[in-house]
Amino acid sequence: METLAPPTSEELAEAILKRPPRFEGTLDDMRGKLVVDKFSAGFGPKKVLEDLNIPIKDNTVTAIIGPSGCGKSTFIRCLNRMHEVTPGAWAMGLVLLDGENVYSPGTDPVKVRRRIGLVFQKPNPFPTMSVYDNVAAGLRLNGMRKEKEIGAKVQLNLNKAFLWEEVRDRLGDSGASLSGGQQQRLCIARALAVEPEVLLMDEPCSALDPVATAKIEELIIALKEEYTVVVVTHNMQQAARISDITGFLYYGRLIEYGPTRDIFENPRNELTERYISGKFG
Amino acid sequence: MDLGLDRLSNAIADMASLAQQSVLRAIEAYARSEKISSQALDNAKRLSVLGEEIEELAVELLARYQPVATDLRYIKSCLEISYGFNRFGRYAYDIAQVLEMAGDLSACDKSDIERLSHHVNSMIQDSIQSFKSKDEKLARTLRERDEEVDRTYQNVTKQLFQGRSTTVGCALASTLVLRYLERIADHACHIGDSVIYITTGKKI
Repeated sequence: METLAPPTSEELAEAILKRPPRFEGTLDDMRGKLVVDKFSAGFGPKKVLEDLNIPIKDNTVTAIIGPSGCGKSTFIRCLNRMHEVTPGAWAMGLVLLDGENVYSPGTDPVKVRRRIGLVFQKPNPFPTMSVYDNVAAGLRLNGMRKEKEIGAKVQLNLNKAFLWEEVRDRLGDSGASLSGGQQQRLCIARALAVEPEVLLMDEPCSALDPVATAKIEELIIALKEEYTVVVVTHNMQQAARISDITGFLYYGRLIEYGPTRDIFENPRNELTERYISGKFG
Repeated sequence: MDLGLDRLSNAIADMASLAQQSVLRAIEAYARSEKISSQALDNAKRLSVLGEEIEELAVELLARYQPVATDLRYIKSCLEISYGFNRFGRYAYDIAQVLEMAGDLSACDKSDIERLSHHVNSMIQDSIQSFKSKDEKLARTLRERDEEVDRTYQNVTKQLFQGRSTTVGCALASTLVLRYLERIADHACHIGDSVIYITTGKKI
């Protein structure tokens, strides 16, 4: 039986050397909706992400897996410039959304976040607002004034989040009164209401029970019809179930990236194999 | 998970040993005109039971641990390999049955069968060995060696069709046994393919 020990620094160095320097998988489209290129990020003197090159294809679910502290959440927060709101945070390199660098000096981070929505690990509906207002808030902030239009959008997005049928009779109730799974779907509806192109999800099911998790997973798969979805998860089975493409991040480096089936059936890198087989993590 | 995989390996080893013995015994008995049908049937039934146990264990491991990568490929391959061993047992029984049906075959020329059975035995042995030691190189030799088996089977069958001087009983018995040996060799190749899949992830 193999020991359940993390890889030594020599093994890590070897695994990193063996990894393809850039993505060279079997995806037919290398351009991607989002392209992360020569990207590094960190906090103060600490480098958390190092020289990442990742093309994220449109209308796919891309899962980023890796053990705690590998930089998954930092990575996802870099994609929509949420990383920089933390004091001391820094980032270098390119994140191209449809070819435009979201980090170019003239780019408004608020606009970036509108195009690239983020759903957090813990459901965080606005607690003092009703279910309806949680979804309507973003629309109003964006200047929508006609209540009829807002109402239609609220219904549309609650529907998209598979929540409408469950809350149609309690739209006036507080968002916080819903169950955990419903709250998370409400947060997804809220994110969808401002019509993003990319939806980022940071461990969206880690606070949920299996039934609520199954609903969110079903929802994620449905959402890729309209959106590009990036999910960060430490749950490998979840990545295997819902994603088309999987990236394995370790100590801030991308060790392996490719079609999910290949990663879970026949990973190319020994380190990936050991991580997904539960030999460390 | 590791304990489950060990149990799976042990069950496959038991099956491999019994399957190999069954085929060897059936061929020996055929050469000596010895009737061993009921023994061959018992072995075939035991192999079938072992195959079911392996299937149960594999499904349990899949359901409980959701294995990935090498573990996943190994479990999938164990299911295929156990089916191969199951077939070995069944073909051994079929070979034993030929003698039951044909009666006395002591006057028949069995040299082709002896030659081919020697070749097929070594393929069975190496398919099992390649699985035990995860020896991809050895597994890769099986396909080439199977071509030799196919050629011999085709040549002898053709000669029998073309009226090589022998009795109908001898011709029919030879054709059947050669056919069973040829099928056993195919299953040995499938086992080799599974070994290649386990070690490289590539499907043959």
